[in-house]
Amino acid sequence: MSPTHDEHPTLAELDRDGAIEEAAAGVDGATRAAFLRRTGALVGGGMALGAIPIALAGAEGGGLPSGDVKILNFALTLEYLEAAFYKEAVSKGALKGGAATFAQTVSEHEAAHVETLKKTLGSKAVAEPKFDFKGTTSSEGTFLKTSMTLEDTGVEAYEGQVGNIKTPAVLMAAGSILPVEARHASWVRDIIGAGKAPTPAPAAFNPSMSMSMVLSAVKATGFIKA
Amino acid sequence: MHNSSDFPSFTELDCDGAIQEAAANVDGITRAAFMRRTAAFAGGAVAASAFPIAMAQAASGALPSGDLAILNYALTLEYLEAAFYKDALRKGALSGETKHFASVVYAHESAHVEALKKTLGSKAVKTPSFDFKSTTASQTTFQATSKTLEDTGVTAYLGQAGAIKTPAVLAAAGSILPVEARHAAWITNIIAKGSGSPSPAPEAFQKSATMSEVLSAVAETGFITSSLPTAAAGSATSAQPSMTG
Repeated sequence: MSPTHDEHPTLAELDRDGAIEEAAAGVDGATRAAFLRRTGALVGGGMALGAIPIALAGAEGGGLPSGDVKILNFALTLEYLEAAFYKEAVSKGALKGGAATFAQTVSEHEAAHVETLKKTLGSKAVAEPKFDFKGTTSSEGTFLKTSMTLEDTGVEAYEGQVGNIKTPAVLMAAGSILPVEARHASWVRDIIGAGKAPTPAPAAFNPSMSMSMVLSAVKATGFIKA
Repeated sequence: MHNSSDFPSFTELDCDGAIQEAAANVDGITRAAFMRRTAAFAGGAVAASAFPIAMAQAASGALPSGDLAILNYALTLEYLEAAFYKDALRKGALSGETKHFASVVYAHESAHVEALKKTLGSKAVKTPSFDFKSTTASQTTFQATSKTLEDTGVTAYLGQAGAIKTPAVLAAAGSILPVEARHAAWITNIIAKGSGSPSPAPEAFQKSATMSEVLSAVAETGFITSSLPTAAAGSATSAQPSMTG
C-alpha cells in the first residue's frame, strides 16, 4: 500500500501557514519573558502503560487545535521514518547479535508509535511518505550510525514540542514517548561505543530542537522521497 | 554535615497535602478530569546549558508551593543518586565500562543537584544521610541498584510533568527526564551484555509513577537514614529510625 502523492503533504506543506516557523523562531530567540509567556496544557501522573494510547486516541483528530494536529503530524512523519528504517534494516538481514535485537525491538516500538499517532489523528493523519534509505540499512556499521542520528533527533524533536502542545492527552502521550526515544538513543550508542565513544548519555541536560531545525535535518538526509 | 532538623521528611515536603491530592486525582483519572488538568509548560530549542540558567531564573520565591514540593522531591532523588555514585566510585569496586558509567552519571546527577539547589535557593531541602549498605561494594550489586534507581528516576520525572505549574521548571524537568532514561538504558545494556535481556527499552510507552509510589519505594530501600517518610510531619525529626540494621 503506497499512498498517492497528493495525499502526502511535503514537509513544507506541514507548515502551510508558517505558524510553526513562527513558533520555532519565537522559541529559538527566547528571552526569559517570552519563554514564560509560552504556555501549553500538560498532563502527567500515574497513568498505566496501556492507558496512554487509549487516552491519546480519545483525543480524536477532529477536536484537536490545529497546532496540536501539526505537531502530531510532525511526530507521525518522524515515526513513519523511523519505523520504515528499522523495518527495512530487519528485512535486509545484515544485522547480527545485539544490533539485530536492537533493531527488532525498536522496530516494534516505532510501529506502535505510528499506530497510536495515526489513531489519534484519524482522517487528519498525513499519509506515509516513500522512503529511500540509500543503502544505510545494508551494513551494520551504517545502520548503527544512522540509527543513532535518528534516535538522538527524535529525542530532541519531542523535547522541543512539549511546550507547544495544548491538549493534555497529547502532551501525556508525547511525554511517554520521549524517554523511550532516549532509551533507544542510549542503547544504540552503547552498541556502537561498547564502553567508549560515543557516550550513551552525552550531557547532564538533554538539548532540544525546534520543528524547523528537525525538518531541515530530515530534509538533508534525502530519506523522504515523496 | 547537616543538622537532621534541617531536612524535612517526605511528608513535610507535601505539608498541605496538595501533592497527594493531585496524585490521587491523576491515579483515578477519568478522561474528562484528565482533559481539565492543565499546567503551564515551556520547552523548545533552548541550548542544553541554558536550562539550569532558565531554571535558576525562576527564583524560588515566586514559585507556587506545589512546584517547590516537586522540586524538593526531585532534589531528594538527585541527592540519593549523586551520593550513590559517589560512594560507588569511592569504594573502588567498579571496573571497565561500569566504572566509566558511574563516573559519567555521577557528574550528571551532581549537575542536576546543583541546578535544583540553585533554583530552590533557601527553600532547598538539605541532603539527607545515606547508607547504601553493600550495594556499592561490588560491581554486580552496583549495576542492579543503579538500574533500579535510574528506572525509578524516569518514572518519577514523568509522573510529575502534569503537576508542574511553572514553564521554566517544566522545561528543566523535560531536559532531565531523557537523561535519566539514557542512564537507565545504558546500565541495562551493560547488565545485558548486548543480549537485549533485560531490555534497555522494555516498552513502546514509558510508564510513570506517582510521588507516593516513588517515596514508598525509596523508603523501602532504607538508603536514607537521616529521615524517613512518616505520618507525623511535625515530629519526624526528633527520632530518626534507621533501616540499616
